[in-house]
Amino acid sequence: MTLQSAQQLAAPYSSESKGLLVHLDHVDKIYPNGTVAVQNANLRAGEGEFLCFVGPSGCGKSTIFNMITGLTSHTAGELAVLGTTPREARKQNEIAFVFQEHTLLPWANLLENVTLPLKLRGVPQSVRKEEGERVLELVGLKEHMKVLPRQLSGGMKMRVSIARALISRPKLLLMDEPFGALDEITRQTLQDELLSIWQREKKMTVLFITHNVFEAVFLSTKVVVMTPRPGKIAQMIDIPVPFPRGEDFRTTPEFSDYVRAVSGALNH
Amino acid sequence: MNKSYAGNVTDHAYSEARPAQPKKMVNKSVPGKGKQLASQIIPPLVVLLLFVGGWEFIGRLIGIAPYLLPKPSDIFLAARDNIGNLMVSVGTTVMEAVIGFAVSVVLGISLAILLALSKMVERSVYPYAIILQTIPIVAIAPIIVIWFGAGLNAIVIISFLISFFPILSNTLIGLNSTEQNMKNLFYLYNATKFQTIMKLRIPAALPYIVAGLKISCSLSVVGAIVGEYIAGIGGGKGGLGYAITIAASRLQTPYLFACGLSAAILGVLFFLLVNQASKWLLSSWHESAMNHSN
Repeated sequence: MTLQSAQQLAAPYSSESKGLLVHLDHVDKIYPNGTVAVQNANLRAGEGEFLCFVGPSGCGKSTIFNMITGLTSHTAGELAVLGTTPREARKQNEIAFVFQEHTLLPWANLLENVTLPLKLRGVPQSVRKEEGERVLELVGLKEHMKVLPRQLSGGMKMRVSIARALISRPKLLLMDEPFGALDEITRQTLQDELLSIWQREKKMTVLFITHNVFEAVFLSTKVVVMTPRPGKIAQMIDIPVPFPRGEDFRTTPEFSDYVRAVSGALNH
Repeated sequence: MNKSYAGNVTDHAYSEARPAQPKKMVNKSVPGKGKQLASQIIPPLVVLLLFVGGWEFIGRLIGIAPYLLPKPSDIFLAARDNIGNLMVSVGTTVMEAVIGFAVSVVLGISLAILLALSKMVERSVYPYAIILQTIPIVAIAPIIVIWFGAGLNAIVIISFLISFFPILSNTLIGLNSTEQNMKNLFYLYNATKFQTIMKLRIPAALPYIVAGLKISCSLSVVGAIVGEYIAGIGGGKGGLGYAITIAASRLQTPYLFACGLSAAILGVLFFLLVNQASKWLLSSWHESAMNHSN
């Protein structure tokens, strides 16, 4: 264990972090070769929020994602997830992940795929099956639970991937460009489905990375606009439009206004 | 046959076809299958018949001595007259090759897993595995005979040494080529190293392991025959390699040919067997889910 992480374990987080699922305080990420990936990022994500990170490639949105998951560590500032270090937070089984690739095991059927996180922590088979059926039902694939991933379309694979993330009823759902590889129609369907699942779970906080401004505005309660060189958070734009947001929201003038505001912040 | 199989694997592994599609294709190809098979088998069969017939004809025409170049009929007669000995030799060689191959599979795969678990171990041990592979077996064989005595032990070890490396290197490549995304997924869900290797890296490496098995199975037959050649003992139980040395020293050329042909047939049969087993193994790699999901 490094000295830094030992200190992080010992020092309790400021009371400010309490109640926040993710808290970044003046966080930097500088690679050993001097590249500044993220500079002075400040962010607070509370219960039930839906935050979309939007920005061009190289703006550090994936780096922020990786710091929150603990795949990489920050080099300065304070970063708390569920009030503790990312590594400790992961052990509470309250965080779930969805990537751009579906990352399904090709040799395992849908039920086995979605219950993988439970299997890895030794949850008994009967509970796994019950929970697996629950989440597959949530994404409308219950009748296909014995099917192998290769028999599914790209959109269906992504649904399975989302179902796998939902299996442990996470408090925090981290999604890294999950719909980036899908066609526009499938993408919109999945956006609708994701929102309805998120509303049903009420308290679940979602951090969602995208490079699509329309997607960001449609989904989020708050858009985090990031700009590159060095990667930093340029602006936060609240989208105080009530849910459920239906298909018609995409065509309202209000929607266009927010899209314009976000695009403006991006080109700043 | 081999080629069509390779095509199958890619289809299974990477196609994004919907459930209905492959079924339809299978149905479509069923009526033409017999025809296709015939068109695959008949041309080489014709060549074989022409070759054997021509050989027999020219042999009779010129009247060349059987100990120099036996005619196909001489070979057949030699095999028929010595069928008892030939069968014993084939049986002995099969046993040695199977044991050598089995030891290769067990040790090759286990060592590859050990190497894959630790980069440190891999870096320190793998170079010696390569060196072991590059030393000509003919150079090591006498030492093996000195250490283990002539006979079954030495022959099995020689067969093992020849067939071991392809399994080791293929398995290791397979274990090391797990997708980074998948490894991240297991890491983020707090999988232990043991869970990651058992539930992700080994199943993901299966196509590579199977490729190694296919190379090694023919090599194990070659290894057994080379072993018998150097370390074979008689006593009525010598393998094909031993029978070949004896036949050669007695100028029983027709029987020598019969032994050589038997060895070739043996190698092909062994390959087809492992090929079939691999097919089954890989289909369960994809379909495993169907059985134990309950």
